[in-house]
Amino acid sequence: MSDVSKILNLFRSELIVVNVGPRSFAEVLEKQGYEAVQVDWKPAAGGDKKMQELLEYLGGYE
Amino acid sequence: MTVAEKVAAANEKVMDIMTNGRPVWIDVKPAIEAVPGMEKNLILVPGPTIRPEDLPIPLKTAVSGAAVHDGLAKNIDEAWEMVMRGEIRIAPSQDYNCGNAASSVMSASMPVFVVEDKYSGGRGYCVPHPGSNPRVLRWGIYGDDVEENLSFIRGDYAAVLGEAVRKSGGIDLIRILSKTAGMGDENHNRQPAASMALALELVPWLLDVDHPARDRVIKEIAANDRFFLHVMMAGVEAIMQSAKKVPYSTVMTGMGGNGIEFGIQVAGTGNRWYTTKAPIIKGIFLNPTTTEKDLLGYLGDSCVTEVWGLGGMSAIAGPSYLRMTGGTFRDAKERTEKARQVSLGEHTFAPVPWDDYRGFPVGVDIRKVVGKNVLPISHGGSALKTGGQAGAGAAELPMDCFRKAVEGLACEVKKLEGE
Repeated sequence: MSDVSKILNLFRSELIVVNVGPRSFAEVLEKQGYEAVQVDWKPAAGGDKKMQELLEYLGGYE
Repeated sequence: MTVAEKVAAANEKVMDIMTNGRPVWIDVKPAIEAVPGMEKNLILVPGPTIRPEDLPIPLKTAVSGAAVHDGLAKNIDEAWEMVMRGEIRIAPSQDYNCGNAASSVMSASMPVFVVEDKYSGGRGYCVPHPGSNPRVLRWGIYGDDVEENLSFIRGDYAAVLGEAVRKSGGIDLIRILSKTAGMGDENHNRQPAASMALALELVPWLLDVDHPARDRVIKEIAANDRFFLHVMMAGVEAIMQSAKKVPYSTVMTGMGGNGIEFGIQVAGTGNRWYTTKAPIIKGIFLNPTTTEKDLLGYLGDSCVTEVWGLGGMSAIAGPSYLRMTGGTFRDAKERTEKARQVSLGEHTFAPVPWDDYRGFPVGVDIRKVVGKNVLPISHGGSALKTGGQAGAGAAELPMDCFRKAVEGLACEVKKLEGE
């Protein structure tokens, strides 16, 4: 049988959420008293592949 | 060198021009004498290329009024017929290193501020700000009273001001911006401190001018808290003239609207415009009965100041403008932070005390705007469709312009690479 103590410890410990999705997911948790850290992440060029290729050609944007 | 290395080197060169630019106001001259390429039957209009028949009402009025002012036509109806017949041409101001704020236009006889960038050697031009009277060509209004003011500006005003500026040996605009750092100007839609500091430099020279209209000119300048804007627009155009000559660069070097379309220019493709439908400027109205339906799209070239890091880019420097137009101090901070996310540099001459003494972000990289999906916000005055100022506020720059610019620049680079 596998060791589940680590995952159980995680569930028993204080919940701190790192949210990479829509901000409203984090806000719902915050309203319930949990701490949530919002990661401000968006796909490059809004996910537009053609733009991603052109940006890459021009040296990227970071 | 790889394309990426060439782009990086080009951007470094443009940022060198933008951050070391030293615009100095050196003269006031008729446009026909000062502006390379200016012609007697040419009228420069704000924003990107547009067909005369597509001009909105305020610009039709301003173009026709300017033609009458220049003696090209007897009245505005005749002037418009000449425009439609192609006897009077129109062209975008920024293609000639000029800026026209709001519904201003520039005709051959109009006096222009001549500003030279002592670092790169570029020159830029702008007509004088006409003062606080709401009935001005600058807002698409023409009549006997407007003509009287235009004639005064072309005559006594230009003569007195030109002599004072020449006597001064040139007025350094960086010095004005440095002296007024932390005085609440964002220098696009709010510049009382810079206008006062400029008047402080000018008045001693004006007092040395022997001209019957001298005192009236001093009064006009001292009473105009927006006077600095048009001098600064010429200053930014001077810097951009040099920046637009750098192939491969992805830095934005121009932007403006004609009420119908809004466009941007990029260093690597010179005067090519990348356009889309002009956004609406949202904020406050001067008249409570005005609604958004009454508004024209973004109108004017004064936002060229933002290309160099002023206005919405440095919103944190002028938080009271946010207060006036319905925003908060936090909004001001966010606008500047957004601009920082997509800019390649920061000015050092005017640190903002309440922003940890940081400078204005400068050099918007079109790759960052598209890649990060972050849109800078421009400040601006809003115009009524029928002419006149509606109010003031801000608008997000349209993403469509930046996407088209990325495509256009990539296409240009491929040509240069022989691909």
